[in-house]
Amino acid sequence: MQTTIPSKSKDDRRIIQVANTRRDQGTDGEGTFNIDASIFEQKDVFPTEKMPNMLFNGIPFSKVPICNVRVSKNNTILTITDAVSGEVRLIRSCGIEGFKNTRKGTNVAAQATAQTFAAAAINKGYTNIRVRVRGLGPGRMSAIKGLQMAGMNIISVTDSTPVSWNPPRPRKARRL
Amino acid sequence: MANRHAQFISRTILVRNGNVDEAARLLNRILGREGIFDQYRRTRYYEKPFQQRRRINYEKCKAIYNEDMGRKIQFIMRKNRVDPFPGCH
Repeated sequence: MQTTIPSKSKDDRRIIQVANTRRDQGTDGEGTFNIDASIFEQKDVFPTEKMPNMLFNGIPFSKVPICNVRVSKNNTILTITDAVSGEVRLIRSCGIEGFKNTRKGTNVAAQATAQTFAAAAINKGYTNIRVRVRGLGPGRMSAIKGLQMAGMNIISVTDSTPVSWNPPRPRKARRL
Repeated sequence: MANRHAQFISRTILVRNGNVDEAARLLNRILGREGIFDQYRRTRYYEKPFQQRRRINYEKCKAIYNEDMGRKIQFIMRKNRVDPFPGCH
């Protein structure tokens, strides 16, 4: 009595061979890594080692003034610093802008502050800037947006949030 | 000093064609994927050892469940097989 289908022809053998070869089922972590393809499709978004000497409107990248955006849960502070000396040229925060108390920590406040800040900066001659964002909060995206809307030429966006994997013991947890 | 990396080389996205919003979002997405924001949030307040244990156990279970469920879904969704209806003879 025959229980299996006999493989007679060449085609049948091929089918069995194909069926028995170990194929990638497309499951992550088995033979493949999930790399966000859309990130690597884009060219020229990541800086190279030649970056500091590249010219932007006649100024090398390392000499372009820096706009530091310090974002926290309750406030957003923007400063422009000189790239070479590191001196603060201009400072503005949501509190200075007139938003008080909880209103300081909103994205609307951050955007409005960024716009007036950018206007003042352009008056002083800082049109090309590198943005360096520090911290997490509601103003993180909207401050950058505000700078752009006021007509500043943003060359790059950098994150410099201080993150440590072996930090000193933080303060005790809040009791809610 | 915990955070010493080459300034304006690492964690930097260049803005192309005035697309500031896209650059900022790309930066946020990469940082989020790498778990940098998670670590930042976690270290704002002290995490007690029992909380840490519980969190890590939960993450392990979740990863196992997700991997398994992903495999199951892949298996159901796969196409172009030699035997289109396995187990139906």
